[in-house]
Amino acid sequence: MNDFTTWDVFRNLLAAVPWTIYLSLIAFTGGAAVSLLLLCLRFAFPRGAGTPVRLYVQLFQGTPLLMQLFLVYFGLALMGVQTTPLFAASLCLSVYSSAYLTETWYGCVLAVPKGQWEASSSLGLKHWQQMLLIVLPQALRLSVPPTVGLMVQIVKNTSLASIVGFVELTRASQIIANATFEPFLAYGAVAFIYFVICFSISLCGRHLEKRIRI
Amino acid sequence: MTARILFAAAIGLMATLGTVPAVADALDDIIARKTIRVAVPTDYPPFGSVGADMQPRGMDIDVANLIGEKLGVKVELVPVTAPNRVAYLQSGKTDLTISSLGKTEERAKVIDFSIAYSPFFDAVFGKKEPPVKDYADLSDKTISVTRGSMQDKELEDLAPKAVVKRFEDNNSTIAAFMSGQVEMFASGTPVAAAIKRRNPDLDLELKIVLANSPCYVGVVKGETKLLDKVNAIIREAKASGEIDRLSVKWLGAPAGELPE
Repeated sequence: MNDFTTWDVFRNLLAAVPWTIYLSLIAFTGGAAVSLLLLCLRFAFPRGAGTPVRLYVQLFQGTPLLMQLFLVYFGLALMGVQTTPLFAASLCLSVYSSAYLTETWYGCVLAVPKGQWEASSSLGLKHWQQMLLIVLPQALRLSVPPTVGLMVQIVKNTSLASIVGFVELTRASQIIANATFEPFLAYGAVAFIYFVICFSISLCGRHLEKRIRI
Repeated sequence: MTARILFAAAIGLMATLGTVPAVADALDDIIARKTIRVAVPTDYPPFGSVGADMQPRGMDIDVANLIGEKLGVKVELVPVTAPNRVAYLQSGKTDLTISSLGKTEERAKVIDFSIAYSPFFDAVFGKKEPPVKDYADLSDKTISVTRGSMQDKELEDLAPKAVVKRFEDNNSTIAAFMSGQVEMFASGTPVAAAIKRRNPDLDLELKIVLANSPCYVGVVKGETKLLDKVNAIIREAKASGEIDRLSVKWLGAPAGELPE
Protein backbone atom coordinates (compact mmCIF):
# COMPACT_ATOMS: atom_id res chain seq x y z
CA MET A 1 0.00 0.00 0.00
CA ASN A 2 2.55 2.50 1.13
CA ASP A 3 4.96 2.44 -1.78
CA PHE A 4 5.84 6.12 -1.56
CA THR A 5 9.50 6.94 -1.11
CA THR A 6 10.49 10.34 0.28
CA TRP A 7 11.50 11.26 -3.24
CA ASP A 8 8.04 10.28 -4.52
CA VAL A 9 6.49 12.66 -2.00
CA PHE A 10 8.67 15.56 -3.17
CA ARG A 11 8.36 14.64 -6.83
CA ASN A 12 4.56 14.60 -6.71
CA LEU A 13 4.44 17.83 -4.72
CA LEU A 14 6.74 19.56 -7.20
CA ALA A 15 4.51 18.34 -10.02
CA ALA A 16 1.67 20.32 -8.42
CA VAL A 17 3.71 23.55 -8.20
CA PRO A 18 2.94 24.71 -11.78
CA TRP A 19 -0.80 24.81 -10.97
CA THR A 20 -0.20 26.94 -7.91
CA ILE A 21 1.96 29.35 -9.91
CA TYR A 22 -0.39 29.35 -12.88
CA LEU A 23 -3.43 30.09 -10.71
CA SER A 24 -1.50 32.82 -8.87
CA LEU A 25 -0.55 34.50 -12.15
CA ILE A 26 -4.15 34.38 -13.38
CA ALA A 27 -5.36 35.81 -10.09
CA PHE A 28 -2.80 38.61 -10.07
CA THR A 29 -3.01 39.67 -13.71
CA GLY A 30 -6.80 39.33 -13.80
CA GLY A 31 -7.15 41.10 -10.49
CA ALA A 32 -4.76 43.89 -11.48
CA ALA A 33 -6.58 44.47 -14.78
CA VAL A 34 -9.99 44.67 -13.12
CA SER A 35 -8.80 46.92 -10.32
CA LEU A 36 -7.01 49.32 -12.70
CA LEU A 37 -10.27 49.66 -14.59
CA LEU A 38 -12.18 50.27 -11.37
CA LEU A 39 -9.59 52.82 -10.22
CA CYS A 40 -9.89 54.76 -13.50
CA LEU A 41 -13.66 54.80 -13.08
CA ARG A 42 -13.38 55.88 -9.48
CA PHE A 43 -11.05 58.78 -10.24
CA ALA A 44 -12.76 59.83 -13.47
CA PHE A 45 -16.27 59.82 -11.99
CA PRO A 46 -15.83 60.21 -8.23
CA ARG A 47 -19.56 60.86 -7.76
CA GLY A 48 -21.07 58.33 -10.12
CA ALA A 49 -18.65 55.42 -9.73
CA GLY A 50 -17.54 55.89 -6.12
CA THR A 51 -20.42 54.07 -4.47
CA PRO A 52 -20.70 51.12 -6.91
CA VAL A 53 -16.94 50.48 -6.69
CA ARG A 54 -17.06 50.65 -2.90
CA LEU A 55 -19.95 48.18 -2.89
CA TYR A 56 -18.06 45.85 -5.22
CA VAL A 57 -15.02 45.94 -2.96
CA GLN A 58 -17.08 45.33 0.17
CA LEU A 59 -19.05 42.50 -1.43
CA PHE A 60 -16.02 40.50 -2.54
CA GLN A 61 -13.87 41.30 0.46
CA GLY A 62 -16.71 40.39 2.74
CA THR A 63 -17.57 36.96 1.35
CA PRO A 64 -15.30 33.89 1.61
CA LEU A 65 -13.44 32.99 -1.56
CA LEU A 66 -14.29 29.34 -0.92
CA MET A 67 -18.01 30.07 -1.15
CA GLN A 68 -17.56 32.21 -4.26
CA LEU A 69 -15.80 29.29 -5.95
CA PHE A 70 -18.40 26.81 -4.79
CA LEU A 71 -21.31 28.95 -5.99
CA VAL A 72 -19.78 29.79 -9.37
CA TYR A 73 -18.80 26.20 -10.13
CA PHE A 74 -21.69 24.23 -8.63
CA GLY A 75 -24.34 26.92 -8.22
CA LEU A 76 -24.28 28.06 -11.86
CA ALA A 77 -24.37 24.42 -12.97
CA LEU A 78 -27.57 23.95 -10.99
CA MET A 79 -29.09 26.80 -12.95
CA GLY A 80 -28.08 25.10 -16.17
CA VAL A 81 -24.84 27.01 -16.87
CA GLN A 82 -21.95 24.56 -16.98
CA THR A 83 -18.59 26.17 -16.22
CA THR A 84 -15.14 24.60 -16.32
CA PRO A 85 -13.03 24.50 -13.16
CA LEU A 86 -10.47 26.79 -14.83
CA PHE A 87 -13.15 29.36 -15.65
CA ALA A 88 -14.59 29.29 -12.14
CA ALA A 89 -11.16 29.56 -10.53
CA SER A 90 -9.95 32.34 -12.86
CA LEU A 91 -13.11 34.36 -12.38
CA CYS A 92 -13.29 34.05 -8.60
CA LEU A 93 -9.58 34.48 -7.92
CA SER A 94 -9.44 37.57 -10.18
CA VAL A 95 -12.51 39.16 -8.68
CA TYR A 96 -11.40 38.41 -5.14
CA SER A 97 -7.89 39.80 -5.60
CA SER A 98 -9.20 42.79 -7.55
CA ALA A 99 -11.29 43.80 -4.54
CA TYR A 100 -8.18 43.96 -2.36
CA LEU A 101 -5.96 45.53 -5.02
CA THR A 102 -8.51 48.26 -5.80
CA GLU A 103 -8.77 49.32 -2.19
CA THR A 104 -5.02 49.17 -1.64
CA TRP A 105 -4.10 51.13 -4.75
CA TYR A 106 -6.83 53.69 -4.12
CA GLY A 107 -5.29 54.24 -0.71
CA CYS A 108 -1.83 54.63 -2.27
CA VAL A 109 -3.06 57.45 -4.51
CA LEU A 110 -4.73 59.19 -1.57
CA ALA A 111 -1.55 58.80 0.46
CA VAL A 112 0.41 61.13 -1.82
CA PRO A 113 0.73 64.34 0.23
CA LYS A 114 -1.71 67.12 -0.54
CA GLY A 115 1.22 69.52 -1.03
CA GLN A 116 2.13 67.66 -4.22
CA TRP A 117 -1.29 68.46 -5.67
CA GLU A 118 -1.05 72.08 -4.58
CA ALA A 119 2.49 72.53 -5.89
CA SER A 120 1.69 71.01 -9.28
CA SER A 121 -1.46 73.08 -9.49
CA SER A 122 0.58 76.24 -8.84
CA LEU A 123 2.77 75.23 -11.79
CA GLY A 124 -0.32 75.44 -13.95
CA LEU A 125 -0.76 71.71 -14.62
CA LYS A 126 -4.19 70.44 -15.56
CA HIS A 127 -5.88 67.82 -13.40
CA TRP A 128 -4.98 64.87 -15.64
CA GLN A 129 -1.38 66.12 -15.89
CA GLN A 130 -1.14 66.37 -12.11
CA MET A 131 -2.46 62.84 -11.83
CA LEU A 132 -0.30 61.29 -14.53
CA LEU A 133 2.95 63.19 -14.04
CA ILE A 134 3.06 64.01 -10.34
CA VAL A 135 0.76 61.82 -8.25
CA LEU A 136 0.70 58.41 -9.96
CA PRO A 137 4.50 57.95 -10.11
CA GLN A 138 4.68 58.60 -6.38
CA ALA A 139 1.67 56.39 -5.69
CA LEU A 140 3.35 53.61 -7.67
CA ARG A 141 6.32 53.69 -5.31
CA LEU A 142 4.07 53.64 -2.30
CA SER A 143 2.13 50.70 -3.68
CA VAL A 144 5.02 48.26 -4.04
CA PRO A 145 5.20 46.94 -0.45
CA PRO A 146 1.44 46.36 0.03
CA THR A 147 1.15 44.84 -3.45
CA VAL A 148 3.91 42.36 -2.69
CA GLY A 149 2.08 41.48 0.53
CA LEU A 150 -1.13 40.90 -1.41
CA MET A 151 0.67 38.72 -3.96
CA VAL A 152 1.89 36.47 -1.19
CA GLN A 153 -1.71 36.23 0.05
CA ILE A 154 -2.89 35.40 -3.47
CA VAL A 155 -0.39 32.54 -3.75
CA LYS A 156 -1.74 31.04 -0.57
CA ASN A 157 -5.36 31.66 -1.59
CA THR A 158 -4.95 29.47 -4.68
CA SER A 159 -5.13 26.46 -2.38
CA LEU A 160 -8.89 27.06 -2.20
CA ALA A 161 -9.20 26.17 -5.89
CA SER A 162 -8.98 22.53 -4.85
CA ILE A 163 -12.70 22.72 -4.08
CA VAL A 164 -13.44 22.75 -7.82
CA GLY A 165 -11.05 19.90 -8.52
CA PHE A 166 -7.63 21.49 -8.96
CA VAL A 167 -4.80 19.39 -7.60
CA GLU A 168 -2.46 22.22 -6.64
CA LEU A 169 0.11 22.16 -3.85
CA THR A 170 -2.17 21.99 -0.82
CA ARG A 171 -4.51 19.42 -2.30
CA ALA A 172 -1.59 17.30 -3.48
CA SER A 173 -0.13 17.31 0.01
CA GLN A 174 -3.45 16.25 1.54
CA ILE A 175 -3.78 13.38 -0.88
CA ILE A 176 -0.20 12.29 -0.27
CA ALA A 177 -0.52 12.58 3.51
CA ASN A 178 -3.56 10.32 3.42
CA ALA A 179 -1.88 7.77 1.18
CA THR A 180 1.41 7.60 3.08
CA PHE A 181 0.20 8.13 6.64
CA GLU A 182 3.13 10.51 7.03
CA PRO A 183 1.44 13.87 7.46
CA PHE A 184 4.51 15.57 8.89
CA LEU A 185 6.61 14.78 5.86
CA ALA A 186 3.96 15.83 3.33
CA TYR A 187 2.79 18.98 5.11
CA GLY A 188 6.32 19.93 6.15
CA ALA A 189 7.50 19.64 2.55
CA VAL A 190 4.58 21.65 1.23
CA ALA A 191 5.10 24.40 3.79
CA PHE A 192 8.71 24.61 2.66
CA ILE A 193 7.72 24.87 -1.01
CA TYR A 194 5.21 27.65 -0.25
CA PHE A 195 7.86 29.47 1.71
CA VAL A 196 10.30 29.28 -1.20
CA ILE A 197 7.68 30.70 -3.59
CA CYS A 198 6.53 33.47 -1.26
CA PHE A 199 10.00 34.40 -0.09
CA SER A 200 11.18 34.78 -3.70
CA ILE A 201 8.27 37.14 -4.32
CA SER A 202 9.24 39.18 -1.26
CA LEU A 203 12.88 39.32 -2.41
CA CYS A 204 11.81 40.53 -5.86
CA GLY A 205 9.62 43.12 -4.19
CA ARG A 206 12.47 44.39 -2.06
CA HIS A 207 14.72 44.60 -5.11
CA LEU A 208 12.04 46.53 -6.99
CA GLU A 209 11.56 48.90 -4.06
CA LYS A 210 15.29 49.75 -4.10
CA ARG A 211 15.33 50.31 -7.84
CA ILE A 212 12.46 52.77 -7.89
CA ARG A 213 13.44 54.68 -4.80
CA ILE A 214 14.12 58.34 -5.53
CA MET B 1 -15.67 23.71 10.86
CA THR B 2 -16.88 27.05 9.52
CA ALA B 3 -16.27 25.78 6.02
CA ARG B 4 -18.45 22.79 6.74
CA ILE B 5 -21.31 24.94 7.98
CA LEU B 6 -20.98 27.16 4.92
CA PHE B 7 -21.09 24.11 2.69
CA ALA B 8 -24.19 22.88 4.40
CA ALA B 9 -25.74 26.30 3.79
CA ALA B 10 -24.69 26.27 0.13
CA ILE B 11 -26.02 22.78 -0.39
CA GLY B 12 -29.26 23.82 1.29
CA LEU B 13 -29.47 26.80 -1.03
CA MET B 14 -28.91 24.58 -4.01
CA ALA B 15 -31.52 22.12 -2.83
CA THR B 16 -34.07 24.93 -2.77
CA LEU B 17 -33.01 26.04 -6.24
CA GLY B 18 -33.76 22.53 -7.41
CA THR B 19 -31.69 20.09 -9.41
CA VAL B 20 -30.87 20.33 -13.08
CA PRO B 21 -33.83 19.24 -15.17
CA ALA B 22 -32.91 16.05 -16.96
CA VAL B 23 -32.86 16.95 -20.63
CA ALA B 24 -32.14 13.47 -21.91
CA ASP B 25 -31.88 10.15 -20.17
CA ALA B 26 -28.59 9.88 -18.27
CA LEU B 27 -27.99 6.25 -19.22
CA ASP B 28 -28.51 6.99 -22.93
CA ASP B 29 -26.13 9.94 -22.58
CA ILE B 30 -23.45 7.76 -21.02
CA ILE B 31 -23.75 5.15 -23.75
CA ALA B 32 -23.69 7.83 -26.46
CA ARG B 33 -20.69 9.55 -24.84
CA LYS B 34 -19.00 6.17 -24.33
CA THR B 35 -17.81 7.61 -21.00
CA ILE B 36 -19.17 7.53 -17.49
CA ARG B 37 -18.04 10.26 -15.09
CA VAL B 38 -17.63 8.98 -11.56
CA ALA B 39 -16.79 11.04 -8.48
CA VAL B 40 -14.32 9.13 -6.31
CA PRO B 41 -12.30 9.98 -3.19
CA THR B 42 -8.51 10.31 -3.26
CA ASP B 43 -7.97 11.05 0.41
CA TYR B 44 -9.74 8.26 2.23
CA PRO B 45 -7.89 4.96 2.20
CA PRO B 46 -8.77 2.18 1.64
CA PHE B 47 -11.83 3.44 -0.28
CA GLY B 48 -9.80 5.84 -2.38
CA SER B 49 -6.23 7.10 -2.18
CA VAL B 50 -3.32 7.40 -4.60
CA GLY B 51 -0.26 5.37 -5.49
CA ALA B 52 3.21 6.80 -5.97
CA ASP B 53 2.13 7.75 -9.52
CA MET B 54 -0.70 9.91 -8.02
CA GLN B 55 -3.29 7.73 -9.79
CA PRO B 56 -6.44 7.00 -7.74
CA ARG B 57 -6.91 3.52 -6.40
CA GLY B 58 -9.04 1.77 -3.82
CA MET B 59 -12.34 0.02 -3.24
CA ASP B 60 -14.43 2.85 -4.70
CA ILE B 61 -12.21 3.17 -7.77
CA ASP B 62 -12.49 -0.57 -8.43
CA VAL B 63 -16.27 -0.43 -8.13
CA ALA B 64 -16.32 2.51 -10.57
CA ASN B 65 -14.22 0.55 -13.04
CA LEU B 66 -16.43 -2.50 -12.60
CA ILE B 67 -19.54 -0.48 -13.45
CA GLY B 68 -17.81 1.11 -16.44
CA GLU B 69 -16.68 -2.25 -17.70
CA LYS B 70 -20.17 -3.77 -17.45
CA LEU B 71 -21.67 -0.77 -19.25
CA GLY B 72 -19.00 -1.10 -21.91
CA VAL B 73 -17.90 2.53 -21.53
CA LYS B 74 -14.76 4.34 -20.46
CA VAL B 75 -14.53 5.53 -16.88
CA GLU B 76 -13.61 9.14 -16.18
CA LEU B 77 -12.62 9.37 -12.52
CA VAL B 78 -13.31 12.76 -10.95
CA PRO B 79 -11.42 13.15 -7.65
CA VAL B 80 -13.68 14.74 -5.05
CA THR B 81 -13.58 15.58 -1.37
CA ALA B 82 -16.12 14.72 1.30
CA PRO B 83 -17.74 18.19 1.31
CA ASN B 84 -18.25 18.46 -2.46
CA ARG B 85 -18.97 14.84 -3.44
CA VAL B 86 -22.76 15.31 -3.37
CA ALA B 87 -22.56 18.70 -5.11
CA TYR B 88 -20.76 17.16 -8.10
CA LEU B 89 -23.65 14.77 -8.58
CA GLN B 90 -26.36 17.32 -7.89
CA SER B 91 -25.02 19.81 -10.40
CA GLY B 92 -24.73 17.18 -13.11
CA LYS B 93 -20.92 17.29 -13.24
CA THR B 94 -20.70 13.55 -12.65
CA ASP B 95 -23.05 10.67 -13.39
CA LEU B 96 -22.28 8.69 -10.25
CA THR B 97 -20.64 9.35 -6.92
CA ILE B 98 -18.84 6.35 -5.45
CA SER B 99 -17.25 7.77 -2.34
CA SER B 100 -17.97 5.52 0.66
CA LEU B 101 -21.29 7.32 0.79
CA GLY B 102 -23.63 6.34 3.63
CA LYS B 103 -27.38 6.66 3.21
CA THR B 104 -28.92 9.53 5.15
CA GLU B 105 -32.33 11.11 4.92
CA GLU B 106 -30.87 14.51 4.01
CA ARG B 107 -28.86 13.10 1.14
CA ALA B 108 -31.78 10.98 -0.12
CA LYS B 109 -33.68 14.23 -0.69
CA VAL B 110 -31.24 15.44 -3.35
CA ILE B 111 -29.74 12.26 -4.83
CA ASP B 112 -30.78 8.63 -5.31
CA PHE B 113 -28.98 5.66 -3.80
CA SER B 114 -28.18 2.31 -5.36
CA ILE B 115 -28.17 -0.92 -3.38
CA ALA B 116 -25.16 -1.19 -1.04
CA TYR B 117 -21.83 -2.15 -2.62
CA SER B 118 -19.56 -2.25 0.38
CA PRO B 119 -19.76 -2.94 4.08
CA PHE B 120 -18.71 -0.32 6.56
CA PHE B 121 -18.66 -1.83 10.00
CA ASP B 122 -18.20 -0.18 13.32
CA ALA B 123 -16.38 -2.78 15.37
CA VAL B 124 -14.16 -3.53 18.34
CA PHE B 125 -10.60 -4.51 17.46
CA GLY B 126 -7.87 -6.04 19.58
CA LYS B 127 -5.20 -8.70 19.92
CA LYS B 128 -6.01 -12.32 19.14
CA GLU B 129 -6.30 -13.08 22.85
CA PRO B 130 -8.69 -13.06 24.65
CA PRO B 131 -11.47 -14.22 22.30
CA VAL B 132 -14.73 -12.27 22.20
CA LYS B 133 -17.84 -14.27 21.31
CA ASP B 134 -20.57 -11.89 22.34
CA TYR B 135 -20.97 -8.44 23.84
CA ALA B 136 -20.92 -9.87 27.39
CA ASP B 137 -17.28 -10.88 26.80
CA LEU B 138 -16.42 -7.20 26.59
CA SER B 139 -17.28 -6.73 30.26
CA ASP B 140 -14.37 -5.37 32.33
CA LYS B 141 -12.24 -4.96 29.23
CA THR B 142 -10.70 -1.54 28.67
CA ILE B 143 -11.70 -0.25 25.27
CA SER B 144 -10.66 3.07 23.74
CA VAL B 145 -13.17 4.95 21.63
CA THR B 146 -13.44 8.39 20.09
CA ARG B 147 -15.64 10.61 22.20
CA GLY B 148 -19.05 11.29 20.72
CA SER B 149 -18.53 8.92 17.79
CA MET B 150 -21.09 6.39 16.55
CA GLN B 151 -19.01 3.67 18.19
CA ASP B 152 -19.10 5.45 21.54
CA LYS B 153 -22.87 5.29 21.61
CA GLU B 154 -23.01 1.76 20.25
CA LEU B 155 -20.61 0.49 22.94
CA GLU B 156 -22.67 2.12 25.63
CA ASP B 157 -25.81 0.40 24.36
CA LEU B 158 -24.37 -3.01 23.53
CA ALA B 159 -21.65 -3.49 26.16
CA PRO B 160 -22.55 -1.34 29.15
CA LYS B 161 -20.13 -3.23 31.40
CA ALA B 162 -17.04 -2.53 29.29
CA VAL B 163 -14.54 -0.03 30.70
CA VAL B 164 -14.68 2.65 28.03
CA LYS B 165 -11.80 5.13 27.71
CA ARG B 166 -12.82 8.07 25.60
CA PHE B 167 -10.34 9.98 23.46
CA GLU B 168 -10.66 13.17 21.49
CA ASP B 169 -9.94 11.84 18.01
CA ASN B 170 -9.45 8.72 15.98
CA ASN B 171 -5.65 8.93 16.14
CA SER B 172 -5.56 9.06 19.93
CA THR B 173 -8.02 6.17 20.11
CA ILE B 174 -5.68 4.05 18.03
CA ALA B 175 -2.54 5.32 19.73
CA ALA B 176 -4.02 4.26 23.08
CA PHE B 177 -4.33 0.70 21.81
CA MET B 178 -0.94 0.64 20.08
CA SER B 179 0.83 1.85 23.20
CA GLY B 180 -0.93 -0.75 25.36
CA GLN B 181 -2.99 1.72 27.38
CA VAL B 182 -6.15 -0.20 26.54
CA GLU B 183 -6.89 -3.81 25.55
CA MET B 184 -9.10 -3.02 22.58
CA PHE B 185 -10.37 -0.10 20.54
CA ALA B 186 -13.61 0.64 18.72
CA SER B 187 -13.52 2.16 15.23
CA GLY B 188 -14.49 1.49 11.62
CA THR B 189 -13.31 -1.58 9.71
CA PRO B 190 -11.56 0.51 7.03
CA VAL B 191 -9.52 2.26 9.71
CA ALA B 192 -8.34 -1.05 11.10
CA ALA B 193 -7.57 -2.34 7.61
CA ALA B 194 -5.43 0.74 6.95
CA ILE B 195 -3.49 0.19 10.20
CA LYS B 196 -2.99 -3.45 9.33
CA ARG B 197 -1.56 -2.45 5.98
CA ARG B 198 0.89 -0.07 7.62
CA ASN B 199 1.96 -2.69 10.17
CA PRO B 200 1.36 -6.12 8.62
CA ASP B 201 2.91 -7.90 11.63
CA LEU B 202 0.69 -6.19 14.18
CA ASP B 203 -1.38 -8.59 16.30
CA LEU B 204 -4.74 -7.06 15.42
CA GLU B 205 -8.07 -8.61 14.58
CA LEU B 206 -11.74 -7.79 14.51
CA LYS B 207 -13.23 -8.88 17.84
CA ILE B 208 -16.90 -8.10 17.39
CA VAL B 209 -19.05 -5.98 15.10
CA LEU B 210 -21.04 -3.15 16.67
CA ALA B 211 -23.07 -1.87 13.74
CA ASN B 212 -23.21 -1.82 9.99
CA SER B 213 -23.60 1.37 7.95
CA PRO B 214 -22.77 0.23 4.42
CA CYS B 215 -21.74 2.37 1.44
CA TYR B 216 -23.99 3.14 -1.50
CA VAL B 217 -23.47 4.49 -4.99
CA GLY B 218 -24.99 7.96 -5.39
CA VAL B 219 -26.98 8.47 -8.61
CA VAL B 220 -28.42 11.69 -10.07
CA LYS B 221 -31.95 12.15 -8.70
CA GLY B 222 -34.70 10.80 -10.90
CA GLU B 223 -32.49 8.83 -13.32
CA THR B 224 -34.31 5.54 -12.79
CA LYS B 225 -32.90 3.80 -15.85
CA LEU B 226 -29.34 4.48 -14.76
CA LEU B 227 -30.16 3.55 -11.18
CA ASP B 228 -31.71 0.22 -12.25
CA LYS B 229 -28.70 -0.54 -14.42
CA VAL B 230 -26.24 0.22 -11.58
CA ASN B 231 -28.30 -1.92 -9.21
CA ALA B 232 -28.31 -4.79 -11.70
CA ILE B 233 -24.52 -4.58 -12.07
CA ILE B 234 -23.94 -4.57 -8.30
CA ARG B 235 -26.39 -7.43 -7.82
CA GLU B 236 -24.59 -9.48 -10.45
CA ALA B 237 -21.20 -8.65 -8.93
CA LYS B 238 -22.44 -9.77 -5.54
CA ALA B 239 -23.70 -13.05 -6.97
CA SER B 240 -20.45 -13.72 -8.84
CA GLY B 241 -18.34 -13.02 -5.76
CA GLU B 242 -16.68 -9.99 -7.34
CA ILE B 243 -17.79 -7.66 -4.55
CA ASP B 244 -16.45 -10.08 -1.95
CA ARG B 245 -13.15 -10.26 -3.81
CA LEU B 246 -12.82 -6.45 -3.84
CA SER B 247 -13.84 -6.27 -0.21
CA VAL B 248 -11.15 -8.79 0.79
CA LYS B 249 -8.60 -6.94 -1.33
CA TRP B 250 -9.24 -3.49 0.13
CA LEU B 251 -11.10 -3.92 3.39
CA GLY B 252 -9.52 -7.15 4.57
CA ALA B 253 -12.76 -9.14 4.91
CA PRO B 254 -15.56 -10.40 2.63
CA ALA B 255 -18.50 -8.05 2.16
CA GLY B 256 -21.02 -10.45 3.69
CA GLU B 257 -24.74 -9.65 3.56
CA LEU B 258 -25.36 -6.18 2.17
CA PRO B 259 -28.77 -4.50 2.33
CA GLU B 260 -30.66 -4.06 -0.93
